[in-house]
Amino acid sequence: MRFKTTVGWMVVALAAAMIMAPAALAGKPGFDDKEIRIAAWGPQTGPAAAWGNVARGPNVMAAIVNAEGGIHGRKLKHFVRDDQYNPAQTKLVVKELVEQQGIFSFVCGTSAAGGMAVKDYLKDNKVIWVGPATSVEEYVFPVNPYLFTIMPLYEDEASILTKYVVEKLKMKKIGILYQNDPYGKNGLKGVLQRLKKYRMKAVAEIPVEPTEQDLASQMQKFKSSGAEAVLMWVAPKTAVIALKTSKSMGYTPQWVSSMTLGDYELMYKISGGLWEGVVTGAFTLPPETRHPLMDKYREATKKYAPEERWGVFFHAGIMFTEPLIHALKKVGKNLSTEACLRELNKIRNFKGTGGKITYTPKRHQGTDSIMVMKCGPNATYIKVMDWTSNELASWKK
Amino acid sequence: MDMKRDYFEDVQLFESNVVLFWSVALMLLLFAIPFFAPKYYIFLLNIVMVHVILAVGLNVLVGYTGQISLGHAGFFAIGAYGTALLMLKLQIPFVVAILLAGFIAAFFGFLLGLPALRLEGPYLAVASLGFGLAIMHVIGHWQFFGGRTGIQAPPLDIGIPQLNASFILQTDAQKYYLILVIAILMIIAARNIMKTRVGRSFVAIRDSDIAAEVIGINLTIYKTLAFAISAFYAGIAGGLFGFVLGFFDPFTFNMILSIIFLVMVVVGGLGSIAGPIMGAVLITYLQYSLLKNVAEVPVVGDFLVTVSSRWFSVMGLENINSIVLGLIMIGIVIFEPLGMYGIWIRIKKYWMTWPF
Repeated sequence: MRFKTTVGWMVVALAAAMIMAPAALAGKPGFDDKEIRIAAWGPQTGPAAAWGNVARGPNVMAAIVNAEGGIHGRKLKHFVRDDQYNPAQTKLVVKELVEQQGIFSFVCGTSAAGGMAVKDYLKDNKVIWVGPATSVEEYVFPVNPYLFTIMPLYEDEASILTKYVVEKLKMKKIGILYQNDPYGKNGLKGVLQRLKKYRMKAVAEIPVEPTEQDLASQMQKFKSSGAEAVLMWVAPKTAVIALKTSKSMGYTPQWVSSMTLGDYELMYKISGGLWEGVVTGAFTLPPETRHPLMDKYREATKKYAPEERWGVFFHAGIMFTEPLIHALKKVGKNLSTEACLRELNKIRNFKGTGGKITYTPKRHQGTDSIMVMKCGPNATYIKVMDWTSNELASWKK
Repeated sequence: MDMKRDYFEDVQLFESNVVLFWSVALMLLLFAIPFFAPKYYIFLLNIVMVHVILAVGLNVLVGYTGQISLGHAGFFAIGAYGTALLMLKLQIPFVVAILLAGFIAAFFGFLLGLPALRLEGPYLAVASLGFGLAIMHVIGHWQFFGGRTGIQAPPLDIGIPQLNASFILQTDAQKYYLILVIAILMIIAARNIMKTRVGRSFVAIRDSDIAAEVIGINLTIYKTLAFAISAFYAGIAGGLFGFVLGFFDPFTFNMILSIIFLVMVVVGGLGSIAGPIMGAVLITYLQYSLLKNVAEVPVVGDFLVTVSSRWFSVMGLENINSIVLGLIMIGIVIFEPLGMYGIWIRIKKYWMTWPF
């Protein structure tokens, strides 16, 4: 009886503690009179560390802005946190940044699962997030008032690449190699959407697991189907295995790949030069483009981050911050999250070093445009199609 | 000072009034934390406690029974997915769902325990590693489990919604109390198991499985039981972890996580209850907090940034996390094989006889 009474009291005390437990407090303010704090997470160590440079790109943007005197007198401070591509760590570093440091806006943010783990938390704490470094439909559909994306959807990219292959390269037999996950399946969807418009069908649609090491049977299927072009939404390693295997079979179709494999220097190196001739989508200007903004970023990287390799993804990190900086400049001295959101929602056809970006209160998917590039000798970028938008984009209807 | 005069003294929960006093003080502190600690630390503590539950369970297997597992992230995943999916797809109340998920994990633990009857040391490590990796890939492959995208955990309703008795825990502080209570119960249960015939059989198997068999311990039953108990703990921890995180994908439960779990137990001290608790607290704090924000620590942060930019690669500073964990492991193995628990015992003994 005594035991039961004790347990009873403990349950009552616990329930009381749970009810009285402090309610959610908003994070610390993300700015003061002297600085505006922005942050990015990304895998700096662990298996996906190769994509870690995206999160470090905004460091250069902050250095440029600060060298020009800041934004209306406030310096920009950028925090980088390693989440090791692990959502538990993503949530933890984001909470630490929001609650301990006080962050005005996040930029970049690699890993779809990490982003999904924190997007509602950021919304609840009224923290802006601009330019996630992944393309995830759930980020923007339905519209999240605090989240603004820049990368085009894989579906749109796939549709435009297919258009290029069919209309410019005049190829009729298309094969698709796709990773068995949302990334690959969205690519597949875009290709099929475009082919349907031409009343065509893919000659082979072959899924692949990211861990597969032997692609001989898949390549044999493409070869027997007579595919003239193979479009792929796969991981870098899978792409290299596919190219090497097909070459050893004497089968050399036109390879076309997603923008995620757009770092030609890296792909050329790990494929032993086989990447030459591969066509890919591009969501930023190529690294060596002569363009006033690109020249500025390149020089700033040499000056402020000489240890970094100037490549597509490092530049992407800078590019992902462009709309935010634009909006912050427009806001003026009286900074607030609401004012910044208003300016972001007013952005129309903004042109930085990526595709044209438009946001409205009802549309936070910034663009559906890509360029089409071809890998030339020594990993050079050859532009084969200028910025093109996807007129078939399902989300615009 | 640790002399036991009868069996009751050996099995009682609090060895003395001093222990009872400090235990109550610790409980009061733990229950009061949400009222003064910043919210970020509550979230960190939730992860710490989840890891404590898992480490205590893993210690039953590694520390007490002498078996190794590099696949505990797999059981952790089964717990997380099991609890969330049972609630989402079958609308089972949380309390039942997490228990069921724990038993599902225990069943898989039992299955993994079968090869353990014939495998030892590195062979068992490889078999368990394979299990952990297989679970991650199987979950990622099936759309039913949310595929590689992952799944959103349902609201943490500890009531029974079917009877209109919902009690949804929304804040980290509310979840903290739930996890704290479960952690305390699981720790007490682990301690009690080790004081029973089952616990003594585990220890006998660890010390010499042949001798254990000779004195009548059924190796088949007890080895598989150790795996099942350990997996049950991992399953319960996983079930809670899913709600702490809110969203998870199969890659969350990767091989590195299994290794980190083992590090917690080894650093804390094998073969004790307090050891894995200390190990889980220290490693989680280092990995998830201190080493993450080391760049902002005054003086030390600036020094490390300079060292890393001078001597390391571009992502150098972040590597300090792995370097520090590695150094701790090496240091523990060389200087203090009993882990943090060993250090604690020595401190205690020193003060017991102080000033002599």
